[in-house]
Amino acid sequence: MDQVTVVADTGRALGTRSSKRLRSEGRVPGVVYGLGQESVVVSVAYPDLRRALTTDAGLNALIDLQINGESQLSLVKDLQRDPVRRDVIHVDFLRIDPTAEVTVEVPISVVGEASEVHAAEGITEQVLTSLTVHCRPDSIPDRLEIDVTNMTMDDTYMVRDLVLPAGVTTDVNPDDPVVAATLTRAALVEEEEVPEGEEGEVVEGEEGEVAEGEAAEAGGGEPDEEG
Amino acid sequence: MLMPKKVKHRKHQRGRTRGVAKGQTAVNFGDYGIQALEPGWVTARQIEAARVAMTRHIKRGGKVWINVFPDKPVTEKPAETRMGSGKGNPEYWVAVVKPGRVMFELSYPDREVAKGALNRAIQKLSVRARIIEREEAF
Repeated sequence: MDQVTVVADTGRALGTRSSKRLRSEGRVPGVVYGLGQESVVVSVAYPDLRRALTTDAGLNALIDLQINGESQLSLVKDLQRDPVRRDVIHVDFLRIDPTAEVTVEVPISVVGEASEVHAAEGITEQVLTSLTVHCRPDSIPDRLEIDVTNMTMDDTYMVRDLVLPAGVTTDVNPDDPVVAATLTRAALVEEEEVPEGEEGEVVEGEEGEVAEGEAAEAGGGEPDEEG
Repeated sequence: MLMPKKVKHRKHQRGRTRGVAKGQTAVNFGDYGIQALEPGWVTARQIEAARVAMTRHIKRGGKVWINVFPDKPVTEKPAETRMGSGKGNPEYWVAVVKPGRVMFELSYPDREVAKGALNRAIQKLSVRARIIEREEAF
């Protein structure tokens, strides 16, 4: 895997105001840590960081970080973003040993079209979007691909179905699902021949507690008071 | 419509909404999401309307996640009532939303159809919002 050189300045002032000043000058505040050494606060130029992280390797690009003239191989461990503007506001670099194994998250791509599933009015749902793998820095895969062309209804492709390149291992449970082919609720309703069903499929997120179609009076609903 | 099953207090104070969302600011479940760009209250009716608009547009073959829950009661006094005599009656439920919050997520194979569905859902909401996609790269 190719390395991209990024020059990091040390000795930046800490704190919110100085960090904001750095960002307005087109630099990204960051920190470098790992390999049992002291952490160093740095700042890098935004265009350099962007160039380094927009290669085929994505966020797992090997970065040759130049700190005070010294070269240090590193990976981006964490990117903090502004929740609204999506700008990168802070970056963590992890020092790595080129001969030792590293643990990285590799994105999983679904390739092909599950025509049999779509014909049966089902959907392929990607449950796992990235896999934590262990490998040497020079053998980090850009992405892992899983082909769903031959997928049939009620099929589930597991972690064990992923083809990992040589030298790449994972601790993730091999029985964890990666892609599942399921019937949509609309198709299920149609099968049961219920005349008025809801279209699509709705899942409540982390705060959702009440199922779709729950009978609740418009506006005037007043739940019981506790205690 | 979404509403809590049981609450500790029937009536809430209105409060002020400051700052940006601390969590749930990226697409976690689906492929696309609706992100709030300003603070506000999203009512249970709006959430339901947005869900229906989305599911009608995608017809089938997709999945919708709702990441906000209307757990705040809003009271109103009856029309032509003199001021005083205590707080009004709970009338509807809202979810308090801060900028950056991903309120809905959608998974659908066709990008254009998915965006069309999300655009229809955005029309139903009382806060400014935009469509975002799952982030894998820089």
